[in-house]
Amino acid sequence: MAAAAATAAATKGNGGGGGGARAGAGEASGARKRRGPGPLATAYLVIYNVVMTAGWLVIAVGLVRAYLAKGSYHSLYYAIEKPLKFFQTGALLEILHCAIGIVPSSVVLTSFQVMSRVFLIWAVTHSVKEVQSEDSVLLFVIAWTITEIIRYSFYTFSLLNHLPYLIKWARYTLFIVLYPMGVSGELLTIYAALPFVRQAGLYSISLPNKYNFSFDYYAFLILIMISYIPLFPQLYFHMIHQRRKVLSHTEEHKKFE
Amino acid sequence: MQRLGRSCVSWTSPRFPQVEPHATIAEIKNLFTKSHPQWYPARQSLRLDPKGKSLKDEDVLQKLPVGTTATLYFRDLGAQISWVTVFLTEYTGPLFIYLLFYFRVPFIYGHKYDFTSSRHTVVHLACICHSFHYVKRLLETLFVHRFSHGTMPLRNIFKNCTYYWGFAAWMAYYINHPLYTPPTYGAQQVKLALAIFVICQLGNFSIHMALRDLRPAGSKTRKIPYPTKNPFTWLFLLVSCPNYTYEMGSWIGFAIMTQCLPVALFSLAGFIQMTIWAKGKHRSYLKEFRDYPPLRMPIIPFLL
Repeated sequence: MAAAAATAAATKGNGGGGGGARAGAGEASGARKRRGPGPLATAYLVIYNVVMTAGWLVIAVGLVRAYLAKGSYHSLYYAIEKPLKFFQTGALLEILHCAIGIVPSSVVLTSFQVMSRVFLIWAVTHSVKEVQSEDSVLLFVIAWTITEIIRYSFYTFSLLNHLPYLIKWARYTLFIVLYPMGVSGELLTIYAALPFVRQAGLYSISLPNKYNFSFDYYAFLILIMISYIPLFPQLYFHMIHQRRKVLSHTEEHKKFE
Repeated sequence: MQRLGRSCVSWTSPRFPQVEPHATIAEIKNLFTKSHPQWYPARQSLRLDPKGKSLKDEDVLQKLPVGTTATLYFRDLGAQISWVTVFLTEYTGPLFIYLLFYFRVPFIYGHKYDFTSSRHTVVHLACICHSFHYVKRLLETLFVHRFSHGTMPLRNIFKNCTYYWGFAAWMAYYINHPLYTPPTYGAQQVKLALAIFVICQLGNFSIHMALRDLRPAGSKTRKIPYPTKNPFTWLFLLVSCPNYTYEMGSWIGFAIMTQCLPVALFSLAGFIQMTIWAKGKHRSYLKEFRDYPPLRMPIIPFLL
């Protein structure tokens, strides 16, 4: 649900700084008064979000340059492998932001979303070298890149209380395409990794051993893939619902100007 | 009465009989059920303030901060199920499931192992301990515990059973596996672990009995628990919830005895949950009793 989560990331309108205000769960949009982070926290979050926006722009530019240089869209992963790992892993900080309360999102939800991204980057793409040249990798990288650039700039502008309608629109509209695109890329990548995991017995432990434990990473990956079935529609339709609420709300405001 | 939730219905019914000032909340709930049979008393949460706490069944109307007319807010708690039912279901599962693995019922392990028996003593011992533990829990549910609440939300039974039954199957699978490896330090390790297990089971039972004796049958009174003549209850000097402390000890003992990682993980999961409960209970004690002993920690002496 990596693409889902971050592409989704709807709910809160303004005020959701940093990595917060992600998809799903509890809070009614805008219904509650939020204190917001203090001035020091706000400054930190603005810097954080600007850095992340820049990072994902670097990845975007890297993809374009590599495509132009190579003349084909295959195996572009290698060109942006390092910044992708760095900036996606850096998103773990967002869990901390929620935990210490400077971002008003649920720690559990944010953890789930960030961990699923980190899982795909490290436990699948990095670990199974053979899938790195797959086109499915490009599919989710592009989806994530566009999503994150918009999301982090959304947060930056929100924190500065100056959110251009275009960014809000983009965040609540582009997911319609980006989300399924990202999910497809992720699922295809995991699927492509399966035979290599089986062959190498990757991250698996079998009996007998002195801790009387076993783990089959192949079966685990299949379970992960199956979990997309209930999760994807829920998140997707939640996003659609949020879109209707947020964008129509803005329309009403415009009428009164 | 006004209904909370999506539709805020201001409901005044001429059919609603006059309520006596000395009526209890329980009686009012019964009256409400008469006109709204789908909301039986256990499903009703009545409050004086929509955002306030639920009123207790024992509260008397005239003793509440209301004038000549009282406005009560109602919330539907959803389908309810009794605590006893939940406990009995969630504990019978592991008892039965573990035995399926112990007797190596077909389709669990390879066909050549069907109905075979392990050659390791510790495996038989583990079965006895695990079974004893859940039989004890069932008997305590039937004869010992005195519950504050009659019911809990229905969805809890699915959540709880998944947890208990799932972990029981996971642990039982490895302990009774034909390729099971007995503990590294052999009989010494097993004996020590068994001692820990037995002591903690006795301790846990002693605490349950002590808590039962605090509360007369059919009542919901709450008192500060104190050590009794039974040495196992002396742990009350140091913790608020020694029953949880002993429960942790039992599972640690079981984990050492079987040297099985899934058991350790189950113990960890239980520890996290019990710590949350212990902290909550400790906080309630502190709030309710001014003279609560200051030395006590929620679950681990001096630490947590």
